[in-house]
Amino acid sequence: MSALVDRAIHGASLDDVLAARRTGVVTAEQVERLRGADLLVLGALADRVRAEEVGDEVRIFTEPGPDPEPDVVVLPQAGQELTGLDLLREVALARMSGPRAARVRVDWTRCGLELAQIALGFGASELEGRIASKRGLPLVEGERLGVGKKSRMELAEIVKRKELEGFVRRAGRLPSFAQEVS
Amino acid sequence: MLDAIRSKVDRGERLSPEDGIALFQHPDVVAVGQLANQVRERLHGDRTYFNRNMRLEVTNVCVASCLFCSFAKLEEGSPGAHTMRAEDAWAELEARMDDPPSEIHIVNGLHPGLPFSYYEELLSGFKRIKPDVHMKCFTAVEIHFFSKLYGMSYREVLERLRRAGLDSLPGGGAEIFHPEVRTRISHDKATADEYLEVHRVAHGLGIRTNATMLYGHIETFEHRVDHLMRLRALQDETRGLQAFIPLAFHPDGNGMRNLPAPTAVDALRTVAVSRLLLDNVPHIKAYWVSMTPEVAQIALRFGADDLDGTIVHETIYRAAGSRSPGALSVEQLVRLVQEAGRMPVERDTLYNVVREHPRASLPEAALRVRERKASKHLEVLS
Repeated sequence: MSALVDRAIHGASLDDVLAARRTGVVTAEQVERLRGADLLVLGALADRVRAEEVGDEVRIFTEPGPDPEPDVVVLPQAGQELTGLDLLREVALARMSGPRAARVRVDWTRCGLELAQIALGFGASELEGRIASKRGLPLVEGERLGVGKKSRMELAEIVKRKELEGFVRRAGRLPSFAQEVS
Repeated sequence: MLDAIRSKVDRGERLSPEDGIALFQHPDVVAVGQLANQVRERLHGDRTYFNRNMRLEVTNVCVASCLFCSFAKLEEGSPGAHTMRAEDAWAELEARMDDPPSEIHIVNGLHPGLPFSYYEELLSGFKRIKPDVHMKCFTAVEIHFFSKLYGMSYREVLERLRRAGLDSLPGGGAEIFHPEVRTRISHDKATADEYLEVHRVAHGLGIRTNATMLYGHIETFEHRVDHLMRLRALQDETRGLQAFIPLAFHPDGNGMRNLPAPTAVDALRTVAVSRLLLDNVPHIKAYWVSMTPEVAQIALRFGADDLDGTIVHETIYRAAGSRSPGALSVEQLVRLVQEAGRMPVERDTLYNVVREHPRASLPEAALRVRERKASKHLEVLS
């Protein structure tokens, strides 16, 4: 990471938060300060912590599980109406205030793939959502889509998975599909 | 590398093409955004602009065969082809006179069969209905086409259109200037030099213009930087560009539908790098139709200072699969800006202030986070 980020963190008087994160738990007072911090500085800080604690892998969950997982923060939460900026701030706060190597997951069905991708730069380490058509409809089993210049037909599920992988890679991260939400 | 660039930015020093490529390649898009935000705030503080505008595409008949276009139909009579009667176009404005736009933005296909008088009448008719409406009409590609079709110089075309009511030119048609790309995606319309020459002539006549770049298809970062450098050079010469608008490629229904659309991260990065490289262009737009209102809002923290406007009626991006709404109200635009912690400023086309709206005392997002129930991890902390 660049010294630019170091300077931004220093300029926002958040060095102690990073230090606290590295050595133990961020205090409630520090979290309160993070809430009022500039969004991009907060994002850069959370992204650094994410890189240090969980690396570049992004786990992708495409099948909803039966129960909420207790150790995962999924954002946006059900019923939450968030702007994009809200979402990014929440993701970064979840990363900074959660336990070490917290599982911070973004549900692209609720916020859209575009915002989910941006959230990967603000501390998120997992993605969740249903694979669907462009219009959000569930894929029909065996459905095929045209790809490439000669409109070669491929299973829609595979095409969509490749698109998801591309989304993650273009955010500078490494995609890895989980079979289902455990 | 980013630190060296930051030093240049701090000193107000011009960035090189190599710096631009490094910024596009840098893995930390948030850090690039911070740099761009620094420049944006130096230029504009929190002020974030928008206007009340109305889009019209009076014809989609077009002799050009651009690979990225989902809007144009090649011939009159083709399924989906349309050319509005001037009266029908004027009726669109008349229907909105309760809350009239300050700007009408017209962009069309290159129709080979219309007389030049059609465009002159179109402009003068709008001015008859609302004399103070700003007519931002016809891209440089259209002006070049008119020049060839009607046998006039660029200057003659622009002077006649201005007499009829033209006030400024939009920035469309720039695509990617570099011939390695341009000859592949839009080989049969104005070249880069011709596009830039139209702008040069317009600026010489006192007509302000915008410029665009269509990114996220087959071009490389080097092509993008080349594009920005050419615009910067033109601006050094004429100072006539008001705003730069990066336009994200949308793949539905066009000759490049096999390509993925550029991602939101790419959109933010392109806005940021544009802000940093185009040090002489006053405004960078986050065109919400192209990047969705949500991403445009975030772009206001990545170097953009303008959201364009209410739009109403855009069809070009919708034909290419954009999921953005067809229009935003002034209230929606104000809220988008306030939620980003910025100060909304309604402007006219030439960036004269129409109305300053209050800014939220803190970013509304932060306020709402504070009021919201703490997440489960925060509960653990307390």
